[in-house]
Amino acid sequence: MSLTFAISPFLIIAFGAMALMLSEAFAKRSNGLALGTTIVFAAAGAFAMAVWLYGLEDIEGLDTLTPWLVVDRFSLFFDVLLCLGGALAALLAGGYLPEHNLDRGEFYSLLLFSTFGAMMLAAAGDVLTLFIGLETMSIGAYALTAFRRASAKSAEGALKYFLLGSFAAALLLFGFALIYGATGHTDLVGIGAALKAGASKQPMVVIALVLILAGLAFKVSAVPFHMWTPDAYEGAPTPATTYMAVAVKSGAFAMMLRVLLTAFGDPSSMSWSAGWPPVLAWVAVLTMTVANLIAGRQESVKRMLAYSSIAHAGYILVAVVATMRSQTLAGASVLFYLLTYTVSTAGAFGALILCGRRGAEAVSYEDLSGIGRRHPAAALPFALFLVSLAGIPPTAGFFGKWFIFRAAMESGLTWLTIIAFINSVIGAYYYLRVLVYMYMREPAAGAPIAVPMRSGYVTAALLVSALLVLALGLSPTRSLDVAVQAASFGG
Amino acid sequence: MHMTLGDWYFALCGLVAVLGAFVTVSNPNPIRGAMGLLLMILSIAGLFLSLHAQFLAAIQLIVYAGAIVVLFLFVIMLLGPSAQSPRDGRGKIARYFGGGLFGLAFMGGGFLVMRGAKWAGLPPVDADFGGIDKFGQVLFSRGVVPFELSSALLMIAVVGAVAIARGKHKGEES
Repeated sequence: MSLTFAISPFLIIAFGAMALMLSEAFAKRSNGLALGTTIVFAAAGAFAMAVWLYGLEDIEGLDTLTPWLVVDRFSLFFDVLLCLGGALAALLAGGYLPEHNLDRGEFYSLLLFSTFGAMMLAAAGDVLTLFIGLETMSIGAYALTAFRRASAKSAEGALKYFLLGSFAAALLLFGFALIYGATGHTDLVGIGAALKAGASKQPMVVIALVLILAGLAFKVSAVPFHMWTPDAYEGAPTPATTYMAVAVKSGAFAMMLRVLLTAFGDPSSMSWSAGWPPVLAWVAVLTMTVANLIAGRQESVKRMLAYSSIAHAGYILVAVVATMRSQTLAGASVLFYLLTYTVSTAGAFGALILCGRRGAEAVSYEDLSGIGRRHPAAALPFALFLVSLAGIPPTAGFFGKWFIFRAAMESGLTWLTIIAFINSVIGAYYYLRVLVYMYMREPAAGAPIAVPMRSGYVTAALLVSALLVLALGLSPTRSLDVAVQAASFGG
Repeated sequence: MHMTLGDWYFALCGLVAVLGAFVTVSNPNPIRGAMGLLLMILSIAGLFLSLHAQFLAAIQLIVYAGAIVVLFLFVIMLLGPSAQSPRDGRGKIARYFGGGLFGLAFMGGGFLVMRGAKWAGLPPVDADFGGIDKFGQVLFSRGVVPFELSSALLMIAVVGAVAIARGKHKGEES
């Protein structure tokens, strides 16, 4: 098979995005854009699966892409995951944007090209392509955040996100420049080899690693680099928030795993006494604890979900730290967690969209009072996704957390596992609080109540997410096998 | 320590670049800020020249000095007096403290970097390195993948700018 087949997910997204953009420009009405975008995502994901099943060994000419892009099982896994996240966001947008009178076709082009960037990020084998991918993904996310132009909140969130994001990108770039000075390589494999050969002993590499870690921590919105997250997530239109929480975060974690394990995999950068694992362990502790404590005090459900996404980044960081001892098992738990987190979070935001309509949006806990009795069809999926985010069986979130804790325990990180466990108990409080409001409270007299909207697109997104949440929660073995295969990339 | 002419040139360009950057961020008058930016861009083009990257230096002048700074000036002129940022004393101490701390941290980091640095020995460049023909050859042979991928970056930047800046739709909330 030829190289075109191997990069077909990229080609489908790029050409699909351009075709949809042209059709939007020339068509009088743009009703089918959400459907078209979903189909493009589905096709790209399907082709990525096809490449996976066909096997990469038989594809000729893959090395012509080196070192720029690495098409391996790791990047194919992320292709599918990112396409799933993008498709769910597109479906939610299909319901949300017309309802809130934001229906402009650029949203879908931004979604597609930004996902293209995220896929590039997951496949990047050189810091040059990595940076281009990162910027492509981030610029799309900035523009999506600012999409609700008339709203001051949207503008504020987008500006904070843009300024801090550019700053973090500059830190990352500075770190890469220093690494190039120390090793003479820009490709990750070359950097890794040079550092193994002894270049990692000098202070320049340490400072470069610090800068790179700061940039990466910003992109996954880990504490103390999380300041932009609540504002950006709250200000953005909810489908864009979904996309950022799901796909942008997955892309950032793909970049983190690839960079740390390929380039900084030498003994003096990756050990419990020096290098990135101890730093990331403390970042993980801070991220989980701070985010959970603040999330419990939010009055807006959307803002609570934003903090909850920071807390989930903390749990994933625990597994990233554990990759220092067992790349395959811990890496697989990261990938599996990202999968469960994608479907649960997209579902939760989708349910929040479904619970409100124009003029009667569901924002605060009060808005959701009693909705479980008034509109059970909207409240039930919401409850399912929150239970999954809290990590309660038989949902996907339970096994996500279970595999992370197991990987951390087997890597000897008992204290980190205990802290993560305590945090997931704290986290359950604010997820269940939503359920209490939905099912056990009645709205105060005269208070504004949320009225659920009707949309086939949103319903479809919720159905897909709910099916995946239950399927992953009932039989996780097969998906975990796939994640194990994806995580054992050459380092 | 004996400094060659090249070292002096580098020191001059580097100092002027830092000075220009400082003027850009510290001057309340936006026109002066834009001029500081111009100064920084010119001296960075000078640094590129000393690295035997003539084409990059020319591009730096054409794109940044010629297009971007001019665009900034147009925007400032269109905004008129409202481009002048109001004097605001709030958070001054926090700002100076944060800036100072950050600057010190970076200088300390830079010092550490320079002290123990063993720079990777890179091979010397060819005589025609940095010229437009050599540049084009690399761009369309070895570097064709990132070159193609960067088209997605440009595309999304254009679409994003349109999405944020284009006029209001009929019936859109104000």
